[in-house]
Amino acid sequence: MAAARGGGGSSEAAATAARAPCAFSPGDRRSLAVCGADGRLRVWETAGSRLQHEYVPSAHLSAACTCLAWAPPGGRQPPHKDGPQRKKRKSEVPEADKQLDILAIGTAVGSILLYSTVKGELQSKLDGGHDNKVNCVRWHQDNCCLYSCSEDKHIVEWNTQTCKVKCKWKGDNSSVSSLCISPDGKMLLSAGRTIKLWDLETKEVYRHFTGHATSVSSLMFTTVKPMNENKPFDGITGLYFLSGAVHDRLLSVWQIRSDRKEKNAVMSFTVTDEPTFIDLTVSEVKEEPVKLAVVCRDGQLHLFEHILNGYCKKPLTSNCTIQIATPGNDEDSTPKPVPILAAAFCTDKQSLLLVYGNTLQPIIERVSLNTTESHVCLIRDVQKVLALKTDVSVTKIKTPVVNSDTKVLVPGIPGHSTSVKAPPSGKEKNKSKRKPGETEESIEDRLGALDIDVSKVKTPGGLPQTDSFAVLLVQGLESNDSDILNKVLTTRKEALIKNTVARMPIHAVIPLLHELTKRLQGNPYSASQMVRWLKSVFTLHASYLSTLPDLIPQLGMLYQLMESRVKTLQKLSRLHGRLFLLVTQVAASETVQDVTEVNQTAKLVYEDESSDEGSDDEMIADKDSDENWDEDDEKEEQSDEQDMAVEKEINGDSDLEPENESEEE
Amino acid sequence: MVAPAALRVVRCGGSNLHGARAVFSADARYLLCTSGDFVKMYSVATEETVCMMQGHADPVTGIQLNPQNHLQLYSSSLDGTIKLWDFTDGILIKTFIVGYKLLALYALASYEDSVFAIIPKSGERDSFQLVSVKLTKTAGQEMEAKELSVILDGVDESPKCTAFGREGEYVASVKEVNLQVYFFKRKQMNRFSLSTTNTKGGNNRFTCVACHPKEDCIATGHGDGKIRLWRNFYHNKEYTFSTLHWHHDIVMDLAFSVEGTSLLSGGVESVLVQWHNGSDCKKDFLPRLGSAIEYISISSDGTSYCTSHTDNRITIINSNLRFSKSIQGLIKGRDVKTGLVVDPRTKALVLNGEPGHLQFYCLQSDKQLYSLDIVQQEYIHQAGLNQVDLVKVAFSAQGKWLATVEEREAADLELQLKLWVYDEETQSFKLNTRINMPHEDRITAMCFRDTDELEEDSPMLVTAGKDCVFKVWVIVEDTDPEAQQSVSWSCDFVGSYHNYQATNCCFSEDGSLLAVSFEETVTVWDSLTWDLKCTFCHPPGKIRNICFGRLTCSKYLIGATDHGFLCCWNLLSCALEWSAQLNVLVLQPDPLSEHIAAVSWLSKDSSLFVFKPNEPRPICIRRNLCKEKIQFAAFVPRDIPETIGSEKYLWLRRSQLYFLTNTQELMTFSTKSPEERLTPSSKQLAVEESLPMTPFSLLLGKHRHQQSQEDVDLGKVVVHNHYNQDSPAVKELLYTPAHVLPSASFLCPIFINSLLTSKENKSAEEVADEVEMESEEAEDDSAEEKDVTEMEQDLRPLEFLGETTCKLSKSQERELRKIRKMDYSWISSF
Repeated sequence: MAAARGGGGSSEAAATAARAPCAFSPGDRRSLAVCGADGRLRVWETAGSRLQHEYVPSAHLSAACTCLAWAPPGGRQPPHKDGPQRKKRKSEVPEADKQLDILAIGTAVGSILLYSTVKGELQSKLDGGHDNKVNCVRWHQDNCCLYSCSEDKHIVEWNTQTCKVKCKWKGDNSSVSSLCISPDGKMLLSAGRTIKLWDLETKEVYRHFTGHATSVSSLMFTTVKPMNENKPFDGITGLYFLSGAVHDRLLSVWQIRSDRKEKNAVMSFTVTDEPTFIDLTVSEVKEEPVKLAVVCRDGQLHLFEHILNGYCKKPLTSNCTIQIATPGNDEDSTPKPVPILAAAFCTDKQSLLLVYGNTLQPIIERVSLNTTESHVCLIRDVQKVLALKTDVSVTKIKTPVVNSDTKVLVPGIPGHSTSVKAPPSGKEKNKSKRKPGETEESIEDRLGALDIDVSKVKTPGGLPQTDSFAVLLVQGLESNDSDILNKVLTTRKEALIKNTVARMPIHAVIPLLHELTKRLQGNPYSASQMVRWLKSVFTLHASYLSTLPDLIPQLGMLYQLMESRVKTLQKLSRLHGRLFLLVTQVAASETVQDVTEVNQTAKLVYEDESSDEGSDDEMIADKDSDENWDEDDEKEEQSDEQDMAVEKEINGDSDLEPENESEEE
Repeated sequence: MVAPAALRVVRCGGSNLHGARAVFSADARYLLCTSGDFVKMYSVATEETVCMMQGHADPVTGIQLNPQNHLQLYSSSLDGTIKLWDFTDGILIKTFIVGYKLLALYALASYEDSVFAIIPKSGERDSFQLVSVKLTKTAGQEMEAKELSVILDGVDESPKCTAFGREGEYVASVKEVNLQVYFFKRKQMNRFSLSTTNTKGGNNRFTCVACHPKEDCIATGHGDGKIRLWRNFYHNKEYTFSTLHWHHDIVMDLAFSVEGTSLLSGGVESVLVQWHNGSDCKKDFLPRLGSAIEYISISSDGTSYCTSHTDNRITIINSNLRFSKSIQGLIKGRDVKTGLVVDPRTKALVLNGEPGHLQFYCLQSDKQLYSLDIVQQEYIHQAGLNQVDLVKVAFSAQGKWLATVEEREAADLELQLKLWVYDEETQSFKLNTRINMPHEDRITAMCFRDTDELEEDSPMLVTAGKDCVFKVWVIVEDTDPEAQQSVSWSCDFVGSYHNYQATNCCFSEDGSLLAVSFEETVTVWDSLTWDLKCTFCHPPGKIRNICFGRLTCSKYLIGATDHGFLCCWNLLSCALEWSAQLNVLVLQPDPLSEHIAAVSWLSKDSSLFVFKPNEPRPICIRRNLCKEKIQFAAFVPRDIPETIGSEKYLWLRRSQLYFLTNTQELMTFSTKSPEERLTPSSKQLAVEESLPMTPFSLLLGKHRHQQSQEDVDLGKVVVHNHYNQDSPAVKELLYTPAHVLPSASFLCPIFINSLLTSKENKSAEEVADEVEMESEEAEDDSAEEKDVTEMEQDLRPLEFLGETTCKLSKSQERELRKIRKMDYSWISSF
């Protein structure tokens, strides 16, 4: 699976992966909201990678979406009561916990839209907080406050119930680019270039961190509890958080300490390009490593697993890198990289949701984590996936691919069934384990071996002058020359066939049988000819065949073929009988009609009656024939033997059957 | 977690969505439909449930918007109550106790204090009557509504068989071959009847009726697929009717469009037919709707239609006959033959869906993921036609392979075994091998060898058939150079035992042993050499189910016989370890633990027993699980192990047990209390709806707001073209060319005046004056017919105005407050 990747493709991928804000719904990651370059908001279902709905903000071109945030699961409970007389039911409906509902959208003009994903409509618009591009929005996890930061250097706390600014303060000297709320909900991290930790009650700076050289694009807390539990936990001290910045290939991890001196990063992770999307599993237990998935601008995904415990000088490299490429087996043979847009850990922390392809139509796939390999390249045919997906969006009906190259097994074809054996026969186990492929190979082997034998036979014996068919046949079998074989095997004369088979050397019998088997599976017309050959082979060489030790594997296929054909005899003869009946009836009625027509022209007055009578007569005739149905069938079975090629073949079979039984024993 | 958490049985997958005709809200943004005992509101835009109204004790039979207030909904139920809901918030406003089973509900705009319902006639069975129920408007949550007056006797119980005509002037009801029309004003009853069968042997029985909204015309559907349009039915003799015929079978429902220009009809063909202008020649179709159409409803603005289907689905269709959305519960088509299977890849529950399809049902979100078209043949709805049906499904352990068996029962059986491989490149299943007639008779069981490590290189499939053999299928490399595929399936071994029918098969956990049951005997085979290792039987009874124990109990083999015994054999000693007398229907091992669930059927109710094979004492016994027989069960692994306090229910920690009854109810267990389960859904972020008003919308919308409020109060449909009815000042401003307009400063006072007077205390007389003036103007200006009719409608409400303005609903108050808060500073720019 691991494959090196051409360096040329990376810049191309980066160009397509223009940063589109996207966010997974919290909790079980059921939906993904993506705001495309066209300003439309699309909500995708992650399980089926299906477009749930699309929303176009009224000012989607002027006020493009810059950031997204889902409301946390289960905010404040609304004053909603059940009916007082609600009865206790024997079984109630468990409702899918649809906790997530509101999506906050920050725009380039400074307003924030609150959009209801359940109703599919805009709930409210928060205005008057910012006068420049909103860089980041974050929901407070407990009360329904919303925090936003903007290019205008301010941080705003919103009351979403009244849609009013609750508090607004200057966050930085330059634009504030990122926000994060501490796990206990009492502190707020903000970052422009430097990172500040604010006390949310007093709105004062609690700590400063050096930050990055460029503006910070992402901030995240990685732990909820400090790793050393000997000290009392005040909610914030001892926690780690992660930051990534624009044009920075290093993600830094910071620790909030009780002493105010330490301002530098504790450790760092190195990735191949600027991080665009980060997801992590928060470790709750000390021994559990933090899992980190970083999607880079070049479309690669890096996975890290690390137990956070203090300093680490060296930047850590990723445990696993995931790339996606097209198969590239069409006209252009170079596989093209497919950019990964986002990734998120599933609730079981063992699998990863990958979002890749185009932002307008992303593909969402669930991949189970396997970090044993350091570099994984997944091959995905994006075009085909999208082509298959289009129908699903409305009707939800997926049509699986059915190609013409599907293997079809019908009764009689090798592989459809092996010979039925009585269970206690434990001797021939090894033979029964053969695969159908082996028998075909063994033909070649045998033919190769025959090559020498035949030449030995031929030279001393000399050619018989009278009938060269046997020689031709042997030659054809040796050289696998279809021309010769066709010439020989298409003879219809019984006597000739008999003679040829009688004269052919004993070692050529098995190859001939294989050749006949192969031809039997083909055209039914040729099958009828082959049956004649088979018949004479079995009548003349039965004694030789019964001596063969590996007869069952050699002729098993032929036996099954015959079995399956014999089974259809009854149906075929029944069908033949019916058809015959029908044809004769039609012919008969035609003659009758001719007669009545003559009558009609003669008696114009009684036209209606006479025609009715005629048809009645027909009906009666039909009924009669129906009653005689079974008898007819039987008669025809007996009488039609010479006509039907298939039956011919069956006739041959019936001769052979005792033969085969004896072989089995 | 509370320790004594009781185990409760909860329903999944939703109840039937097609209990009654679905109703669009006035703005066509929401769809209201019944779901068992509940009324659910879905968002048309997102297909999501917005709210669920619970309160009825029995299935809901009818829902209707309150014609007086379009934010309210009436619902009737078999429990004999009519409830009035505020559906935007999901609040129950009132309960009217009628005391009879209510089978249908009709609410009309022209009868403001009563609704119509169909109730059973007291004393007679199978006889129903249409009554009007007077709803008294007194305070209080619960009140009796005993004032019933019978309107029609001997009506059909189905809500489709009664319809109210234009503005409630008459009611038409059909039963068998009779149509009766009752005129309210004249108190006259006309009856029309057809002969039971017509000359061509068609079925003349009426199946449904619909009334034209604008004209006096009644459309009736018939059992033979004909639609008759009745006119001139005032006269008992000189009535006329015309016939439309396209459907080949029963017409299930009919609906007129809002203006009555087109008629929609649907039937078992699952094709929606739109007839234009009542003519037979002009019609449009929307085919392939999946299953029979049960109900058709149309939104009040005519932009969308909605069809409810018998397979628990609602389809929303645009007015130009395009699919828009579909709301899909668990498809409850016909018989579930495949059982419950879990797809290891998506963790979805897989079972029969639409005919020939497999549905993948996501249990976490309680929604259908998608349905996979396995048979890939057009489904033709025709009685007596033998259809291809999916009967068996199996997934390999990692979900890479899917095996399906389809069966068609014609004169002789047709069988097809298909093996699908999940193609990661295209993210879809791809057919790898198709095997015709894998067995000569029905396939009774199918299973993959699910060994985790070995699996992907050597998967193995076993099929057991009634033709007394079991077949082992393996993957082989294709030697044929022409074949494009590198691997395909082929038969490796055929086993049989004394010519008994093979009934079950199952692999042990490590895949080394295969157990196949042949009628009374269980045979155990070595999967490497295909030697018969040993046989077990428990004489008087055929084997119904078998399974191997797992993990620490992997040395045990469990079998259940149809003579009511559950046996546990030890594979090491080849002896019976224990047996218990239990009539086991379903035996289901948990893939993640040693536990095995057995569902028994004991005299009219099902019980559940959970046990470990190493001890004969069950861990958990649950009697009276449900009244129905349980057909299938499945353990679905949880994403995160649940924390369960009580020791008794530890078996539910790693996976959840789902089971399907023979009425196709999907059920599961929950250890959480009902409050815990329900709270997350009702917990919603309360966000005030505050949408900004643009200056232009202020200018136009100010007046319109009031209009629409009146409309809402009066129960009128909000019709789109209100623009013509704005205040004269605005009209003047908009219609006068800019170059002849006086200066803005001159216009400003007129403007503000017009805005202010309309809002503040204006008596009813003043409004009337204004409206009249407007109506005159409208006639002068455009003299459009539509406007005039609207004016007429507007005039009538004045008599109610006094009582309606005093009690505004909450949302209206909110809107008013919003208007008051508006910033008018921009006007100063004039």
